[in-house]
Amino acid sequence: MFTPTYVAQQIINGVNLGSMYALIAIGLTMVYGLLRLINFAHGDLLMLGAYLGLLLVSAAFTPLILTLFIPMLVIGFVGILVERLAYRPLRGAPEVTMLITSLAVSSIIENSMVMTVTAQPRAFNLPAGVNQLHTVAGVSFSTLDALTVGLSVALMAALTLYVRNTRTGIAMRAAAENLRAARLMGIDINRVVMVAFFLGSMLAAAAGWLWAAKYSTVEPFMGFLPGLKAFVAAVIGGIGVIPGAVLGGYLLGFAEIFFVGFLPPAYSGYRDAFVFALLLLILLIRPNGILGASTEERA
Amino acid sequence: MVRVEDLTVAYGGIEAVRGVSLEVGEGELVTLIGNNGAGKTSTLMAISGMAPIRSGRIVIDGEETTKLPPHAIVARGVAHCPEGRLVFGRLTVQENLRLGAYQRKDSAGVKQDLDRVYALFPRLLERRSQLAGTLSGGEQQMLAIGRALMSRPRLLMLDEPSLGLAPLIVQRIFSVIQQLHEEGVTILLVEQNAHLALTVADRAYVLETGEVRLAGPAKQLIDNPEVRKAYLSQ
Repeated sequence: MFTPTYVAQQIINGVNLGSMYALIAIGLTMVYGLLRLINFAHGDLLMLGAYLGLLLVSAAFTPLILTLFIPMLVIGFVGILVERLAYRPLRGAPEVTMLITSLAVSSIIENSMVMTVTAQPRAFNLPAGVNQLHTVAGVSFSTLDALTVGLSVALMAALTLYVRNTRTGIAMRAAAENLRAARLMGIDINRVVMVAFFLGSMLAAAAGWLWAAKYSTVEPFMGFLPGLKAFVAAVIGGIGVIPGAVLGGYLLGFAEIFFVGFLPPAYSGYRDAFVFALLLLILLIRPNGILGASTEERA
Repeated sequence: MVRVEDLTVAYGGIEAVRGVSLEVGEGELVTLIGNNGAGKTSTLMAISGMAPIRSGRIVIDGEETTKLPPHAIVARGVAHCPEGRLVFGRLTVQENLRLGAYQRKDSAGVKQDLDRVYALFPRLLERRSQLAGTLSGGEQQMLAIGRALMSRPRLLMLDEPSLGLAPLIVQRIFSVIQQLHEEGVTILLVEQNAHLALTVADRAYVLETGEVRLAGPAKQLIDNPEVRKAYLSQ
């Protein structure tokens, strides 16, 4: 039953799902690293990105790639706006206050969407060519699958280069490690936080578009579960550390696909329970996540 | 260069600094000495815009900076090398140094200062692509001082640069402090090793439970019986 082709197929599916989790997790981890804020509204920006994509796709906007890039840019600015209106006034507030605020922001965005576009799921249909299946050595994947992986890797590579080499990128890593010391260096934290929200929301919008394309549907609550799972991915990898979010995202994607793909079908309904059990298990062994700083390192 | 007027810093209900006034003139090396909890670190943090100031004023070059955020104070030429060093352990030595020059736009000058820091502390040059977290305590202190110098500061504030270091390294760090002083950098030094601080400083303030207890030229204070008894254990 587990032929090499079957295994290869599962790996492709795992990379696919993992790429999307990784894209979402990066934004969560960047924001957490800087503000210790668990941003529950992150998944809702993913949803907004998907809706905006739907709007452009339905209008037969071309070239197709712009139906992805325009939402990314717009949602990037929406992220900045959310930070400015909801989170900045709380700078220095207890973590619980920020957490509850992000739940409120999430509710407001979701319910505003229900009120304006209704909770009715809508079809997200791309031109037929995008879903065309290719078969290589018995393993099949669609153009969309290839696009998902290629685009995710390209975006993550670009982000890595940015964070590694630019002045703002280095400042962001410094601020995530020690906010006080970063301020003493003359780094304007508000600016760094703004950039983090912009980049993170942009990646969430990209993930939203890809997610909607994969499942061919959008609805106002579609961001909740991917957001939550991406949070799990960020924690598994070591929250606050960008490579950790990527690692956690892929690990989670693989785990989920393998769980469904290699265990008897009767278990597949428990895949989310399995995901969260995996989180507990990893945290028992590595309380700060796989790549996370140990508590002593974190002054 | 910097003047602190009747400064009170309070964390919640606890006053860490109570009505402190002090001044550091252009090119001076001034030290704050006193026991733990005397308010030395809080005073430096207040100058940097990092402490909750309840009352009083801070004036840098004739301009009041009391309510300015830290990055605006750095922009006015203040560099703060904090207690406990606070180097960025997940960044390389060179990245740490570059962050010290975060606000500078003159890349040629930054390159020049990078070379200068490496000349002052050759150990840092050897380890420039290493993560700062892997350095020894002494090397981290050198990095913290070098990082502060990278902003080409007009006022350099050093908080406990000798804390927890081997005597040989302390000697090396203090000779660098003296060298910087001779080059004309204005320095405000907080130090628990009162003897060492008074030896290199021009003037000193003795802080006790958040207040200035004594002030004067370092040469005089080093012979003051009260200072000798309380801080020089003689």
